[in-house]
Amino acid sequence: MSNLNEENNILRDTVREFCEKNLDEKKIEEEKIDNNINSLLASQGFLGAKISSKYGGSELDDISYHIILEEFSKYLPSIAMKIFMINSLYLPSVINTEYESYLPDVSSGKMNVSVDFMNNKYKLEYSNNVNGTVENILNTDAENIVLFDGKTTIVEGPFKTREKDFMGFKGLKFGSIELNNKYNVIDKNSRKEKIMENSYNDLSAIALGIISGAIDKAMNYSRVRTVFGAYLKNYEPLVFKLSEMYSKENILRSILYSNLDKYYTFNFAMNSIVEIARFSVNTHGGYGYFKDFGVEKFYRDAIILKSVFYGNNELKQLSNHIYSEKLTFI
Amino acid sequence: MFEEYDDYRKQIREFGLKEFTDEVAAKYDRGEEYPDYLRKKSLSVGIIDMHNPAKILISIEELCRVDAGLGISVTTPYFGAEVLMLFGNDKQKEFLNDVYSGKYVLGLGVTEASGGSDVAHIKTTATKKGDKYILNGSKMFITNGAIADYLVVLARTSDEDKPHHGLSTFLLSTKLNGFKANKLTGKLGVRATNTAELTFNNIELNSEDLIGEEGKGFYYIMAFFNISRIYVAAQALGIAEGAFDKIQDYIKANEIKDENTMFEIADVATRIEAAKELTYNAASYLFKFEPRPQLTSMAKAYAGETAVYASEKAMEILGTNSLEENVERIFRNAKIMEIWEGTSEVEKLVISRFILKGE
Repeated sequence: MSNLNEENNILRDTVREFCEKNLDEKKIEEEKIDNNINSLLASQGFLGAKISSKYGGSELDDISYHIILEEFSKYLPSIAMKIFMINSLYLPSVINTEYESYLPDVSSGKMNVSVDFMNNKYKLEYSNNVNGTVENILNTDAENIVLFDGKTTIVEGPFKTREKDFMGFKGLKFGSIELNNKYNVIDKNSRKEKIMENSYNDLSAIALGIISGAIDKAMNYSRVRTVFGAYLKNYEPLVFKLSEMYSKENILRSILYSNLDKYYTFNFAMNSIVEIARFSVNTHGGYGYFKDFGVEKFYRDAIILKSVFYGNNELKQLSNHIYSEKLTFI
Repeated sequence: MFEEYDDYRKQIREFGLKEFTDEVAAKYDRGEEYPDYLRKKSLSVGIIDMHNPAKILISIEELCRVDAGLGISVTTPYFGAEVLMLFGNDKQKEFLNDVYSGKYVLGLGVTEASGGSDVAHIKTTATKKGDKYILNGSKMFITNGAIADYLVVLARTSDEDKPHHGLSTFLLSTKLNGFKANKLTGKLGVRATNTAELTFNNIELNSEDLIGEEGKGFYYIMAFFNISRIYVAAQALGIAEGAFDKIQDYIKANEIKDENTMFEIADVATRIEAAKELTYNAASYLFKFEPRPQLTSMAKAYAGETAVYASEKAMEILGTNSLEENVERIFRNAKIMEIWEGTSEVEKLVISRFILKGE
């Protein structure tokens, strides 16, 4: 990429080497991200990628942060999601509040945190404690969780959790939490909408990693797999499609790292990700349906990323951005 | 089409809704366990009628609409039966009664690791030795492989210039020495179904285990695919309808009325209707013993892609509500519809070849 410098390329190689050396993707999906992996991620400065150096973070620029998200996502999207939750969701939730004091422990991996980005409505009661159940929390083993219940609230653990089997981002624990916990309102307004809108490029970087990982698997397989006496790479329809997808991958990388327009980039990423992950599974035939080949995880995580982060609300934001006005719809 | 079976369809749906609860479906999906008790129960209430193909199609569609993992599990213990029905000897046809009664589970061993859809190039051999055949080789992704009592197996009995010549089908007891099944786990979906890798090590088969004529195996299997692909289209149709059920329930419960979502459900409904017409049309020719392979492949490919499309739309429209197991399971189940019994790409080859042949 012409807009990436030598330092960026070194960082990319560093993340790749880290993944190959330290991470076992199948084991992590089965046993979840543990303290050991957290510590490893922290020791290299990945966990606190965007956190200020005064809190022990790496204080990286956007390009470096996106390289980290892309490369981890390409290897195992769960790791990228973990880093994203800390740097794109938790950090802006607590910034300029007294809870910045948590950031040193967060960036060093000593404190596991979460942000609820899935729920729009809560049925919680607030007194000295907050009471009620919150469904669909990713990273349920967190020590504190940020909720956006019309305001921005930090709830202190430990939490009574009920884990659920979840097909997406399997390296993170997922489920519901039953609250009877201490809480503090850190902003009387909900920071969610702004945080989510500001994270478009970060999510696009995760999407790019999924796309890149899926295409890599499919292209590599097409080079070694023979069917009807010829390599898959010798079949026009398949290779035309893979080449088209590879072009999309590189267009996405180009617009992301040139910081073209976060709305266009996010829209392009979300409209490409599922189709590409799905076709990469198809390329593997029956083998693609089994986790051993490591491609079906991209399809699972792709649909979750799109389903959770992209819908009518995001399309409205895109349209408002393009029309330069807040549109009203019938 | 098939309106005369409306009552039967209703009966099947009631059975599915009663037995395939979310808890049961989740349990067998998570555990990757075959629900044998449901196979037996489905037989006891007579929901499978192997003597009436229209009823088979309807039961597959309606059960997969409720849950494809369980639906396929209870409708595939007979997998491969049509090969025996069409080409088997009297004893083999008689044996089918024990399959239909539930005494035995059947499976079909065609696919090999070296080439999923490439049937003509299989490497498993059945070498004639006196009045015996000695079976050696392996099979991959075999449905019912580790639970079947018998398997219809395709093997090479002679080397010919054309690879699809020299193949033969056999009825194999899985109790024979030299048979080994390794259950495969870690599937994305349809995890209640049993899938295995098989190895055959010097298995002695008798000449009466041969199905039909020696060297005709390829044609028998292609004839079987003309039937089984209709049933896979029915599986896919059921999955698509099940996904659409979830979409409608969600939209109604949450009183969603925005136009974008309305357009999306219109697209899903249209595709399902088209898949249904194609599937039922292809089935109607088959059931008159006038199969149209290109129509069958169109139905299988289009219904498979519709299942995937509808399940992805269910995930997207439901958003965070799609994370419930009973929705994401539909998504995971759907993907196999574009893969097994001939990938969509293979179906497209069949379609174009038949069209250009003018058939």
